[in-house]
Formats: sequence, C-alpha cells, structure tokens
Amino acid sequence: MRACAVVWLCVALLASPAFAKPQRVVSLNLCADELALRLADPGVVKSVTWLSQDSRSANMAAMAAALPANDGHAEEALAYHPDLVLVGPFADPASIALLKEVGAPVVEVGAPQTLDGVRRQIRDLAATLGEPRRGEALIADMEARLASVAVDPSQPRLKAVVLRPNGFTVGPGSLVDEILTRAGLDNLAARLDIAADQQVPLEVVALLGADVLILDRDKQSAPSLADAALDHPAIAALARRMTIVSLPSRLWTCGGPEIVEAVERLAAAAKAARAREATQ
Amino acid sequence: MSARAASAEVGYGPLVAALAALMLAAALASLMIGYARLDVPAALADVFAGRSTAAAVVLEQIRLPRAALGAMVGFSLGLAGAALQGLLRNPLADPGVIGVSGGAALGAVIVFYFGLAGAFALAMPLGGVAGAVVAALLLYALVGRGAGTMTLILAGVTVNSFAGALTALALNLSPNPYAAYEIMFWLMGSLADRSLPQLWLALPLTVAGWALLLMSAPALDALTLGEDTAASLGFDLGRLRAQLVAGAALAVGAAVAVTGAIGFVGLVAPHLLRPLVGNRPGRLLLVSGLGGAIVLLAADVAVRLIPVHPELKLGVATALIGAPLLYGLIDRMRREA
Repeated sequence: MRACAVVWLCVALLASPAFAKPQRVVSLNLCADELALRLADPGVVKSVTWLSQDSRSANMAAMAAALPANDGHAEEALAYHPDLVLVGPFADPASIALLKEVGAPVVEVGAPQTLDGVRRQIRDLAATLGEPRRGEALIADMEARLASVAVDPSQPRLKAVVLRPNGFTVGPGSLVDEILTRAGLDNLAARLDIAADQQVPLEVVALLGADVLILDRDKQSAPSLADAALDHPAIAALARRMTIVSLPSRLWTCGGPEIVEAVERLAAAAKAARAREATQ
Repeated sequence: MSARAASAEVGYGPLVAALAALMLAAALASLMIGYARLDVPAALADVFAGRSTAAAVVLEQIRLPRAALGAMVGFSLGLAGAALQGLLRNPLADPGVIGVSGGAALGAVIVFYFGLAGAFALAMPLGGVAGAVVAALLLYALVGRGAGTMTLILAGVTVNSFAGALTALALNLSPNPYAAYEIMFWLMGSLADRSLPQLWLALPLTVAGWALLLMSAPALDALTLGEDTAASLGFDLGRLRAQLVAGAALAVGAAVAVTGAIGFVGLVAPHLLRPLVGNRPGRLLLVSGLGGAIVLLAADVAVRLIPVHPELKLGVATALIGAPLLYGLIDRMRREA
C-alpha cells in the first residue's frame, strides 16, 4: 500500500511541469557542454561554447560543431529563450543573477575533485536533464572500464610526476592525483610540500627521480610559451631515464567520463615503464 | 672630480681583466645556484663522460644555457646602452628606455605566436632584430641629430608604449588561450628554463651585433669633439649611425627574442663604469658590456634566491636597481641645466 503510494507520488511529480525534460538547453562552459551533449536528447542543446568546437581540446567537437557557438556570456544564452542554462564553477555571479532575474533556470556544473564526485555530477546532471537512465549507463560504462585496468596490488607502485603548461604540476588531493593512483602511479608532487597545483622549476622535476613523466600536451595547438615549456630539450634528454607519456588536455581538463581514458593511457604507460625496468 | 680622476687611473687593461673575472665568477654562481640541490662537480663529470644522468641533463640543458644567456644578454644590453649613449651623446639612451627592446619583443611575439618560428631556424631572433630596427628607425626619425634630452625621452616613451600596446594586441589575437597571459614575459623578461638551442640560434646574430658596436669605438671618441670635428677627422657620420643602429638591433633584437625585454641594464652598466674609463665613450663599450653581463647574472641569481613564487621576472629585479638610478640621473641633469 505504501509502495503504491510512493509510485503514484513519483508518477504525479514526473508528470508535473517542474519535472518535464528541459527542451531548450544552453551551456556556457566547456565541461558542461560536453556532459550535456552526452546526456541530452539530440536537438535539446541549443548552443555550446566555442571551446567545445575545437577537436584538439574538446571531446564532443563533432556534435558541438553542428550547433551555434557562444562566448560564455549570459546575454548570448537569453537569445535562445532557454529553459535551462548550464554554467561553470567560475561563472560571473552578475551573469547568473541576470539569468535568474529573467526567469531562466541556472544549474552549475562543477569541477569535481574525486571520482565519486565525477559520478555524482553525471547522476545529478542526468536527473536535471530528465535522462537518469542515460546517466546510469554512462557511469556503468566507466566502472567497467576502470575495473579492467585495476592494478595488481602486489606490484610495486611506480613514481610519477605531472608537468602541465607553464611548468605547473598537480598536487595531492585532486582528481588528477586520483587518476594517477588508479593507474598504479604514486604522485611525487606529494613530496614537494605543495598544497594545490603550483609551478615547479624544470630542474626540480628532472631531479625528482620519477619513473614516469606525464606531460599535459596537445600536439597541434597554436604556439605559446606555456606549451613550449613542455618541449624543452631537457625533457627529451630525460626520455632515456624515464617513460614519458603525453596526455591530451581534453582527457583530464573536465571531470567527465573521458577521465577513464586518461586512466587507461596512464596504466598502459605504467606497464611500459615496468617492462622497461625489467629489461634494464 | 679628483676622486674620478684618481679612479680613472685604474688603467683600461686591468679594468677589463677585473670585470671579465667578475663576470666569470657571476656565471659560475649562476651555474651553482638553482632550485634543486645539484652536485655540480659530479654532474660535470657525467657530462664529460657522456653519461646522461638527470644531474648531467640539468647542468647541461638547464643551468648552462641559463648562465650563458645571462652573460650574452647582459653583455648585449650593456654594450648597446653605451653605444647608443655615445651616438646620441645622452646618458639616458638605453635600449629599454628608447623602445628598441620593446620593438624587439613585438617582432619576436609576432613571429612566435603566429606560427612563423617553425618556418626556419633563425625566424625568432630575426623577428626580434626586425622589430628592434623598426623601433630604432622610428626613434631616429623623431629625434634626428642633436635633439635634446626631452625629445629623446618623449620619443622613447612613445615608441615604447606603442610597441607594448601592439604586443598586447598580438598576444590577444593569438588562438592559444595561454598567450594573453604571457605579456609579462615579453615586457619584463626572464631566463627561467631557457634552452641550449635558443642560445645557439641567438649567438651568431648577437656576436655580429657586438662586432659592429665595438668597431665604432674610434668614431664615438671622435664624436665627443662635435660632429663637424669628427667629420673633418675622416669619420663618416651617416655610416656610423647606420652601423650603430644595425649593431644595437642585432645584439638587442636577438637577445630579447630569447629572454623578453629586460630594462635598465643598458643604463646602469654605462653609468657606473663611465668614470672609470675617463668618460671616453669608445673605451666604455667593452667594459659596459662586461658590466651589463655582471648585472644581469647577479639579478638572475637574486630572483632564484628570493623566495617568491612564481619566480620574479628579471625586469622587476633590474628595475628595482635601475629606476632609482635613472631618477637620480634625471634629477642631476635637471639641476645642471
């Protein structure tokens, strides 16, 4: 009797306009763009940021390129008369206030710092978009792939360090740190006494004694000093002593399902590094 | 005045030798001092034995180019400063103040961010040289010969701020999202994580520039007697001007393309050393180059020792020393006038 009542309540709620699927979604953030394109029905997302259309830095570029692009401004979103606007964690509070004032529902897509947070975010956004089953399917696929790269705990763990553009490394307690752990790597940045992401001189990176050096690099991107820091000849010279793996930034910029591919690639690099140590 | 006369008796040869020794010591300090603990003798042994240990890589690929570029860029700025001051007969002429460095930074930025750097190896340093030439010609068109200090400084400010604005514009137009945040490097300069290939690319152009500037010593000495006297002594002033502008553009342009614009070195070095060479602009050239190298190497060691993260830009350190000096110099000129 009680179960029956609950089911009836749910049906009543789902039928009410508050739980109807949003039909006109505009996203003002790269990470929100990608998740929305993965979860929503075709045609529901009306506009995404221009960043999502660049296949060098985005995962859903093919779908995004077919949509009108925006620069992430609130005014642009309003032109589509949206019934849902997705914003990023660093959205301008004034823009959000403006959107709310004209009655457009605003949902923030955050930057999760753990794998659990990634799952929760997918589940939450899937619910918001009225596609809970698609969300669960996405999560189940992630779990299956993560399980297949599960690291043998008897193996000694390898030491790794991350080098991002401008010489930034990734500190402990971050999503990237958890990605490394899942791939069987220990993040050496924990030894550097740094709290969060911080710039590290190249000579410190070289002398850390890492087995694996992970570069955040997109090969064809337009030139910048930030990226040139990863092309320093010292890194090429170190390739004789450690395994160097380039991971495109699109795989670990957002906390989306694509981070599983980052784990897979790092696990493969760890395997190569072990094989190399065995032959030496 | 008597103190200056006494110090001028140091002798040119011993002065050059002392400055060269000091420069080598500063370069050695730059090799020894860094962020990571490095056993330099052991690393050196590895380098010579051809062992590519991490220590050898750090010494050869990171510390060595940093020290060598510090000396090269400092020498270029000090030498170019002394030469321009001799040409314009004005102690405030410095590649940074008059906009030559700013023009060089703009040239290098255009080449680098729009993908031309990969076209051929020398594209980057040549971009810097081209920017420096344009800035020098613009300045010369405004200042001409015998213009007063006021005109020189105003022209320099104009060229400098225009080059800075165009640099910001070029960075904003770059498709790379990081580019716009890199203006600090180009306007303030840094030697952090530079590389050996950058040194080898910049060196030939720089050395050619040094040669042009150093060869102008006799003409600069004659110029102190006035343009007419110098001409009557057989010096072709048009040629001298072209030679100095080309030399400064080569030396400063190639340097700035690697390290960004670093101010005040070309002002501080000649100012401190001028009394020691009896105010002879020809003799000031070499010692000012050595002095510039010492100043820049010392500043670069200092930015690595100051516990500020991210590392201070070199131009900040040189401005902290140079700006008060420039202020004092202008103040003295104002009172003497």
